[in-house]
Order: sequence, then C-alpha cells, then structure tokens
Amino acid sequence: MSDSRDACNPQKERWQPTRRDVLGAGAAVLLGGGAATALRYASQNEGGLRADVFIGKAAGYDADLVGVIHAGLTELGVTRSQIRGKRILLKPNLVETARGESHINTNPVVVVAAAEVFRRLDAAEIVVAEGQGHRRDSVLVLDESGFATALTEAGLSFVDLNHDDFVSVDNAGTWSKLGPLFLPKTLMKADWVVSMPKLKTHHWVGVTCAMKNMFGVMPGVVYGWPKNALHYAGISESILDINATVKPSLAIVDAVVGMEGDGPILGTPKNVGCLVIGRNLPSVDATCARIMELNPYAIGYLSGSSGKLGPIQEQNLRQRGEQIDTLRTRFELIDQPHLRGIARA
Amino acid sequence: MSEQLTESLVDQLTASANPHGGWGYRVDTAPAAEPTALACLALGTHGVSNALTDAGLARLAKMQLADGRVAVSSQTPSASWPTGLAALAWLKASDAARERHRTNATRAIDWLFSAQGTAFRADPNVYGHNTTLTGWPWVDGTHTWVEPTAYALMALRAAKQQEHTRYREAVALIYDRMIDGGGWNYGNRRMFAALLRPFPAPTGIVLTGLAGEQRNANVDASIEYLAKELRGMTSAVSLAWGLIGLTTWHDRPREADAWLARSAAMQSQDAPSPLENALLLLAASGDGELSPFSPPRNEATSMTSRTDE
Repeated sequence: MSDSRDACNPQKERWQPTRRDVLGAGAAVLLGGGAATALRYASQNEGGLRADVFIGKAAGYDADLVGVIHAGLTELGVTRSQIRGKRILLKPNLVETARGESHINTNPVVVVAAAEVFRRLDAAEIVVAEGQGHRRDSVLVLDESGFATALTEAGLSFVDLNHDDFVSVDNAGTWSKLGPLFLPKTLMKADWVVSMPKLKTHHWVGVTCAMKNMFGVMPGVVYGWPKNALHYAGISESILDINATVKPSLAIVDAVVGMEGDGPILGTPKNVGCLVIGRNLPSVDATCARIMELNPYAIGYLSGSSGKLGPIQEQNLRQRGEQIDTLRTRFELIDQPHLRGIARA
Repeated sequence: MSEQLTESLVDQLTASANPHGGWGYRVDTAPAAEPTALACLALGTHGVSNALTDAGLARLAKMQLADGRVAVSSQTPSASWPTGLAALAWLKASDAARERHRTNATRAIDWLFSAQGTAFRADPNVYGHNTTLTGWPWVDGTHTWVEPTAYALMALRAAKQQEHTRYREAVALIYDRMIDGGGWNYGNRRMFAALLRPFPAPTGIVLTGLAGEQRNANVDASIEYLAKELRGMTSAVSLAWGLIGLTTWHDRPREADAWLARSAAMQSQDAPSPLENALLLLAASGDGELSPFSPPRNEATSMTSRTDE
C-alpha cells in the first residue's frame, strides 16, 4: 500500500473556517448559530488520535459488495468474536424519494450486503432503522426507494426511528445548545450502530456523509420535520453532539454512485465506484471529502471533530485497500459564498 | 369501504389501545398524542364512543401541560405540535365527552393563539417563501411548517375561529408555501435556485386544514397533483391523508374505497399500526357531516377565552 499523504498539499488544506464559512449567511439566521470557535481543527497531532479507513472498489451495485464489506472489516480488525451475539443497527440515509432519483438515498443493495456480512459474523440481531428528515411516511419511502422489497427478500426488519419510543440521554458533546438528546429506544438497545450514508454534497454544510447521516436517528416527533430544531441549534454543532453522544461503531459509505451539486436531494448522480469503511466517522468523512476533492478542514463538523472525535488529517489516517488517488473525482458544489472554502481544496 | 372492512379496522383499532388509555404509534410503543387523537376522531366518526375513547381523551388531558399545550412528552415540552390535534379530538368528541373536556379544549385553543413559529427576514435568493409569515412550528422557537399549521387550523376551525387574524395569516402562509404546480411538502418551496418536490401526505393534511376556504387555482392544482399521486398508492398514511384532503374538497375519487381496501389488506400482512388504522378509518368516512374535518355550521358560538386583538 502506498502512502497517499503526498497526494495533496497539507499546507493548502490548513485553511481555517470562519463562522460565516461554516454556517453561511442565510443559515445563520434560520438555522441558528453556534460555537464557531469550537469548529476550528486541533493541532497537527490531533491529540494523538489515529484511525484506519478502508476503501474498496465496487464499480456498480452488482459488484460483490458482501466481499468488499467483509474485506473492509477484516482490514479494520473487526473479528467474529466482536460481533457474535451482538445487536447491529444499520442506519441508511433515507431522506425522501422521487421517481428515477435513486441517488438520493443509500442503495438498499449495500445495506443488505452489510447485513449479510454481519450475519456471517454471527450477529444475534440485525435491524435497519431510520428517521427520515423530510418525508414522515416511512412505508412510502421504503416502497419507493426499493428498501421494502430488498429488506423483505433479505428477511430484515425496519424500525421507524421518528416514531419510536425515546429516552433522554446526557449530551456528551459541548458544541450545541441542544441540552440532553432524546434518542430512540431501538438505537439505545443496539450494540453496534453502523452509519450507512450515501456520499453526497450538501447545500448547507458542503458534504453529507457518515456523521451527518446520524441526524436521522433523532426522532422527528421531538425535533420536527425537517429536523428544524437541529438546524436552529446549528447543523455542524448538532452533528458533533449527536456523534459524540451516540458514538457509532462503524461507517459504511455508499460511494458507488454519489450525488454532486445541489445535494442532499436535488443534485445529480456522480459515479465514484467504491465503498468507504471505517470505525472512526470523522476519519471516514475526511477521506470521503478528499475523494470528492473537497477541503475537509473547511467542513465545520469535521474541523470541530479534529482531535476530539477523531483524526481528519491525512498523516493521522492509515489508508487501507484502495488509495484515494485512484478514485479521486471532483464533486461540484452549488455556487454559494458559504461553500467556497470547501470547494477550494 | 365495505362495512365488513370498516368493522375490521374498528376492531383492530380498539384491540390496539393501550391498557392504560390512549394509543401508541405501534402496538408496542407508549401512548402518544397524535395516534391517540386520531384514533378518538376515527372511532367517533364511526359512531364508536366508549370507555376506550373516553380513556383516550383522558390520556390527552393528562398530557396537557399547565399552559394549555399538549406536548409529545412531559420531558419535551417544546415539541408542542400535537396541541391542534388534541384540541380537535376534544372538540369533536361525543356531547358528554366534549363537555367533560371543554376546559381542556379552551386552554389548548388559547395556547395556540399564544404560540407561533419563528419569523425572520431572509435573503429571497436562499428561501423561496415569505419567512415573515407565522403559523405553528413542530418545536417551539423554530420556524413555521405546514403540517403543524394545518393541525392548528383544523382545531381553530372546530372552535369557529376562522376569522381570527392568526387563522387568516396561517392560511396565507400555507398558500405561500405551496410548490409551483400544486401540492406541499413539509413547507419549503425552494432552496437557493432549486424548486422542491411536493409529497402526498402533507398535501392531504394541508388541503384538510384549508377546508371551508374559497376554492381557488392553488387548491385545484393541489387536488390534481394529489389525485394523480394516489393512484396506485398503498401506503396507508399517504393514501388516507390524501383521500381525506380530496374528500374535504368534494373531490373524492370514485375508486377511493377500493384503494382503501387494498391498503388495509396490505396493512394486515404486517403488524398493524394504530395510526395507520385510525387514518384509514377517517378516510373511509366519506364527506358526510360526521367528518371531524368538515367546516362547522354557523349557528354555534366560538370557543376561546381570547379575543382577536
């Protein structure tokens, strides 16, 4: 495996976001503010944090995804003894659906493949769960996204986290003003929470991937649709608090076909041809940003994570599987002032 | 819908009541305000008024906080969006139950007048709607969205408050949030340069919220969108709210009962959901005077302790 650290200029990446860059002028009004100073990345050493990130090629959804995910977990040191008897919650990204727009949501084939890998590793229970941010009607979203058929054929159950019973949990983060988080009981029962996002651009925060995907565990009955209470608390700040509190165990990113432009719902398909897998979500997302040729340090929740929730600097990541350079492809962002720093990588 | 199917839905709904009163979103979850209010309305619409509906209405009263709001839970008082639905359930209950919960309803209506979503001035290049108009939010201190606003309109209409300035502003807000070409999503028309898509369930909810308003081109376009979307729809929530909305405007498709029967048959294959059963029952009730969403007759007096200031 070659070292990808030479592939980009670290000096160029060490750009520090301002409050305006992170949240955007319009967002600062509707979406609320937050501790922008907390979103600056930590020292080069990032508190000594290190993480492995695996990239596995998958040219299409008919590729051997089970093999890719299994290889990824093996490379990351995930063993049968760690999974045996455990309850696994697979959290795809389901937002809304539109005919012919399958690139909006995580492809169900990837989720079914992940479930198969966990079954082979003797997981006691596997559940697919989501609390969509836009459409309340889970049945319709599952039908139109292809999840209903795929999950039924795979013998997997789905839990609507928007309408699950919930419990109050101390907020382990200090970024937002959310206070205690109200989290679904199904989520709290899981031993492993696996974030399974679609790789997409996002018109407010630049990139939506493994960390942003965790918005979907927040019950809509408490936070509304489109989870506007989290917007008011600050999108980046809320992402950090949710991830600090939930502590997902793994991320498997559907980057076979992603979305560029006006994500997370109105962008255009972007072929990348891989899955990105890792146990540290900020590291996975930083790797994905680099694949997208976007600047991870300018993404508020990633710079905020640095040295606290995980490493994001290339010298602190151990790249497994394919190298970033073999898949790097520029994702276009909408042309808005608050996103220009992210696009300048 | 056939009498047999209606009876079956009534049986399933009554069987899924929580033993301590009320209904949960699923049979294995705790009672919640939204399914409880809709179950009480649905059973009432089909002439069922019994200990279960009494217990459901009492459960809603128990959920009501001191200031009149009905929150999702006592731990989450800011998630106050069910207040409109709870008030509607109390106002549309049987005579005895309505009298028993008169104070609950009055306090809820008063609270609705005191609450509103956040308004602000925004860059029109970013947002496609008028952000200065106010309706009701899902969560206190956040922006107005169309579903909680429509629930509030249903309750205020049942309390004969259609002429209140808050009601009129909310109607204007709802029209302002309509997607070009008809229909609504959660309440965003456009973000930056991109027009967003409508969804069937919010469109049905909003059309129901607008009942009694003058029919116009916006309503016609939304009805047209909905009628197309519902064809082939099996999801109970979207189909039911869609049909309730169309029925409210006397545009119930001829195939409505067959669609409901198909959806109900699919529900029974899975674990039935009290919320879905309640909505299917409400959609099955047609557009008779029994519908809890119909505009009230004019002769009754309004219910509120506040005046329109």
